[in-house]
Amino acid sequence: MTTQPVKSRLPGLLLLAAVLVLLALMPLMVNNYWLRIATGALMWAGLACSWNILGGYAGYINFGHSAFFGLGAYVTAFLMNDPFGLPFLVTVPAGMLVTAVFAVIIGAPTLRLRGAYFAIATWAFAEVLIQFASAMDFTGGIGGIGLPPYLNERFFYFAMLGAAALTYLLTWLLFERSRFGLKVKALRDHEPAAEAMGINTALVKLQTFVLSAVTASVFGAIFAYWVTFINPKSVFGGDITDQMVVMVLLGGLGSLWGPAIGGVALFVVNRLMWMYWGDTAFYIALLGAAIVLVVLFLPNGIAGLFSGRRSNALEKAAGKLVGRVDEGERP
Amino acid sequence: MDLFLQTLLNGLLIGGVIATFTIAFQLTFGVLHVIDFAVGGWVVLGGYLGYYMAAGLGVDGFLAIPAAFFLFGAIGYLIGPILYNVRNSRTARPELMALALTFGLFTLLRGGMLTAWGFNTRNVPTALSGESLALGPVTVPMIRVAAAVFAIVIAGGLFLFLYRTRYGLAIRATAENRQNAALMGVNIRRLSANVYGLYAGITAMAGVLMGAVYSVNPEIGLRYTLFAFFVAVLAGLGSVGGALVAALLLGVIEAYVSTYVGSSYSLLAIFATLFLVLLISPKGILRRGL
Amino acid sequence: MTANRNGYTRRETLGLGAAALAAGTLGMPFVRTARAQAATFKAGVITSLSGENILGGNLTKQGYDLWADAVNAKGGVEVAGEQFKVEMFYGDDQSNPATGADAAERLIVQNEVDVLFGPYTSGSTIAVQPICQKYQVPMISGSAESPNVWKAKPEFNFGIIPAVDTTSGLSIGVLAKQSNPAAKTVAVIGVNEPFSKETGEGFRDGVAAAGLELAAYELVPPDGDLTPVISKIAALNPDVVAVGGHEEILINVVKTSKSLNFRPKALIMHYGITNPAFAQALGADADGTTGVVVWLPTVAYKDDVFGTAKEFSDMAAKKLGGEPDYTAAGCAASGLVLGDALKRLGKKPALTPEDRVALKDAIAETDIQTFYGPIKFEKDGPHYHDNVQPVPVLVQIQSGKVVAVGPKEAAAADYIYPLPAWK
Repeated sequence: MTTQPVKSRLPGLLLLAAVLVLLALMPLMVNNYWLRIATGALMWAGLACSWNILGGYAGYINFGHSAFFGLGAYVTAFLMNDPFGLPFLVTVPAGMLVTAVFAVIIGAPTLRLRGAYFAIATWAFAEVLIQFASAMDFTGGIGGIGLPPYLNERFFYFAMLGAAALTYLLTWLLFERSRFGLKVKALRDHEPAAEAMGINTALVKLQTFVLSAVTASVFGAIFAYWVTFINPKSVFGGDITDQMVVMVLLGGLGSLWGPAIGGVALFVVNRLMWMYWGDTAFYIALLGAAIVLVVLFLPNGIAGLFSGRRSNALEKAAGKLVGRVDEGERP
Repeated sequence: MDLFLQTLLNGLLIGGVIATFTIAFQLTFGVLHVIDFAVGGWVVLGGYLGYYMAAGLGVDGFLAIPAAFFLFGAIGYLIGPILYNVRNSRTARPELMALALTFGLFTLLRGGMLTAWGFNTRNVPTALSGESLALGPVTVPMIRVAAAVFAIVIAGGLFLFLYRTRYGLAIRATAENRQNAALMGVNIRRLSANVYGLYAGITAMAGVLMGAVYSVNPEIGLRYTLFAFFVAVLAGLGSVGGALVAALLLGVIEAYVSTYVGSSYSLLAIFATLFLVLLISPKGILRRGL
Repeated sequence: MTANRNGYTRRETLGLGAAALAAGTLGMPFVRTARAQAATFKAGVITSLSGENILGGNLTKQGYDLWADAVNAKGGVEVAGEQFKVEMFYGDDQSNPATGADAAERLIVQNEVDVLFGPYTSGSTIAVQPICQKYQVPMISGSAESPNVWKAKPEFNFGIIPAVDTTSGLSIGVLAKQSNPAAKTVAVIGVNEPFSKETGEGFRDGVAAAGLELAAYELVPPDGDLTPVISKIAALNPDVVAVGGHEEILINVVKTSKSLNFRPKALIMHYGITNPAFAQALGADADGTTGVVVWLPTVAYKDDVFGTAKEFSDMAAKKLGGEPDYTAAGCAASGLVLGDALKRLGKKPALTPEDRVALKDAIAETDIQTFYGPIKFEKDGPHYHDNVQPVPVLVQIQSGKVVAVGPKEAAAADYIYPLPAWK
C-alpha cells in the first residue's frame, strides 16, 4: 500500500496537463456554439465544486446555494447599470464582498443546525431572496435587469475557465493539502470528537461556508454578464441548487474531481439530449432516467469508476462510520 | 372584523390543504430516513388521475380518491425496495444518494407527464367544487373543508394505526431504532416498501384534492415539494402531529400577511418565519419525532 | 489492495475507456453535416416546451408550424420565380433566459438557420436579442407581448403582437363603455411574474385613463394561495375585477371566487382564457369571463397563404383540435412577414450574412395585409419594431364560446353585464 502512491500519480498529472492544454486551446478547435456549451460546462463544474466545498468536505448540505450565485449576479448587474456604470472587473470583487458579508450573517446562526434542518434552512434563505428580489423595485422586481451586452464569447470562456481553475486549485490546496482540510474533514466525520480535539468547529465551519459562498458568487457575476439578462428565478431559483447537488452526487461527493466530472457530464448530456430530442419535452424524462440509472449502478458517483479499490475501501469505512453517527444522532 | 374572521378561516383552510400532502411525507422520513423530492410528482399524478376519471368516465372526482390510493400505492410499493436499497447501501452518504434518486424520479415523472399529457392546465370537478356555506359573516368554501377533513382523518387514522396496532408498533420501533427493530424480528425491507406504498397512495389521494381545490399541470409539482419540505422541517422531521400544526401556522401567516400587509409579501413572510423558527428551535416547533 | 503492474487498477482502466468513449461520442457533433441537396430556407424556433411557460410556449410553436406546413403545402416560399421549402429547427428554452440564449446560438451556428422565430417569454427574448445582433440574424417574435422587449430598441427583432401595455389598458375603457349601468370601481390583481405583472400594471393605468376608481391593486406571488386576496377584494365589492396572469392562475381565480361565493359584475382576465382548455377546465363557470384579444377567427381579414381568418381557424382547428387563439395566429402571421420579406429581397437560400442584414431591412419595411390584420412595424419610440396596428377586442365566454363584445363596431353579441350569480 505504501509503495503505490508516488508511482501512480504520474499518469494523473499527465492527464491533468493534457486536459488543461485541451481547455486552453478549445476556442481554436470548436465553433461558437460548442464554445458556449463549454463555457456553460465550466460554470457548472465550478459551481459543483463550490457546493462540494461545504457539502462534500464539511458534510453540510446546502440547499440554498443559488442564493450566493444570485447575489454575485445581482451585484454585478446592479453596479454595471446606471447610475454606477462600473466596469465588470470591479463588480466581481464587490459581489464577492457582499456575498461574504451575507454568508457570515446567515452562516453563523444556521451552521448550528444539522442535516436536513440545515439543508431546509438554507433553502428557505434562498427562497426569501427570490421573494425579496421579486417584491422590491431597486432589484428590477420580477422583470429582472439587463446588462450591457458584451459579445465576446472567448472572454466569457476564459473567464469561466479561470474562475473554475482557481476554484479547483483553491479547493485542492485548502482541502487536500493543508491542516485546514484535515480539520474540516474531521468535523464532517465526527463533530463532537473534532471539538474535543480542540478544533474550533464553529469557526472552521463558518470559514468553509464563506469560501463556498464566495466562489459561487464569482460564477454568478460572470453568468449575469454573459447571458446579459437576469431575473430572480433565473439566478436564485431552486433548480440551480438542485442541479449543483445532483452533479456532485453523480460525480462523486467529497472528492476533488467528482464535481468536475458530474458537472460536465450532466450539463453536456442535458444539452446533447436537448439538441437531438429537444423538439418535445421527452428529453426531460430521459434525463430523469439517466439520473436514476447512475444512482442505481454507480452508487459512488462517476468518479468512483476512476478511483482505485484502495480509496473505495476508505470510503466504505467512512460510510460505516457516518452511518453509525447518523443512527446515534437521533435523540 | 368580518374580514378578520374570514382571513382566519382562509388561513386555517390553507393550512388544512397543505397538511394533506405533508402528513404521509413525514411518515416516510420517519421510517425510511429519505427526504423524498418526488412528493410533488405523486401529488400531480393523483390530480391527473382525478382529471382523467372525471373527464373520461364522467364520474365525480371524489371517486378517484380511492382509485389513486390503490394505483399509486401499488406503484410506490414497487419503488419502495429500490429506495430502501439505495438508502442502506454502503456508500459515503446514502441519504444523499437516495435524495438524488428521488430527484431523478421526479424529473422522469415530470418529463413523462409533459410528453404524455401535454401542457394544458386541468381541473378535477367534484360535487363540492365551487360550493360554499354562509356562516354568519364568513363564507366557507366547501371543497377546502373537504381537504381539511381529509387531512384530519388521515392524521387520525395514521395515529390509530401507529399506536393501536402491532404493525404500527413495528413501524414506530423501526423509526426509533432500525437495528433493534430488526433484532426483534421486523422485516425492515418489507416494512419500508409498505410504508413507501402507503405514503405514495396517501399523497396521490391528496393530489386528487389539490386538483379539485386548485388545478393541475405537469410543471406544478415542484411547488408541492417545496411546501412539503418546509412544513415537514417546521414541524420537526418525522413528526406526523407536528405537520398539522405547522401547516396551520403557515396557512394563517400567509392569509394575514396577504390580507393586511400585501399579497406580494405573503411568501416572503412564510419563508422568513421558517428560517427564524429553525434558528430559534433547531428541531422544529414540536421538537420530537414520530 | 494491490494495483496492476503498470499502476492502474482494473477500475481505472474501465474508467479511462468510458471517458474515451464519451469523448468520441461528444466529438461527433463537431463534424459539420453538408447541406441537403434541395435548397431550403431554414428557420429556427426558440420556445418554452418545458418549465412554467409551457402553455404559451406550445401555442407559439404550433403557430409557427402552421405557417411552415401551409407554405410548404403550396410548394414553398416563392423567390425570383422559384419555390423553396421551409425547414424548421427547434430549441426548448426551458422557460429560462440562459437556455434561450444557448438555443439561439445553437440554431444559428449549428443548424445555420437564416432567420429565427422568437420565444414566448420576454426574459428569453431579451437574452436572445444580443445573439441575433452578434450574428446579424433577424428574428420575428410572434408572441412576445412584454413592453420591456422593445425598450432596448432591438435592431434585429420584430414583434407581431402589440405590447400588452397598449392593449390591456385600453380594454378597461372599452369595458366601461360597454357596461350598463356603467362600471365605476375596479380591483386589479397582477401575478408577480414577468408579463403578468406588466399586464396588471396595464389594467391599473387603464383604470385611471378611463376615469374609473381603483379599488385595489394587488400583486400576488405565483405560488401563493388566492383565498386571502379574493376575500379582501370581495370585502371592497368592486364592480370589475381585472386579473393579469397565466392560465393556471386564471383558472384558480375563478374557482376560488366561486368557492367564496364572490361574483363581481365583470371579471376580465389576460392571458389565456381564449385557449379552449380554459373553458374545458371550468365548464359552465367559465361563462361570463371577459378577455382581451388582438385577433379573433371572426375578423374580416385575409391573405393568399391562409385565406380568410375563418379558413385559417378551421385549418388550425383540424390540426390542433381546437380553435386557435391570437398567439397561434400571431405566430403564423410571423411566417407571412418572413415570406413577404424574402420575396421582396429576392435572394435564394442559403442566405449570406449580407443577405440576412438585407432581410432585416426588408422586414423593417413590411406593410402587408394578412388574415391576422395589417402588419407594419414601429420605426421609433418605446415600441420600436413592434407591430402596434391591431386594436384590442373585448371578448366574453358565452355558453362556452368566445365571442366579441366590444368595442361596438366589432361586437358580435351583447355584453353580459352585470354577471348573474354563481349557479
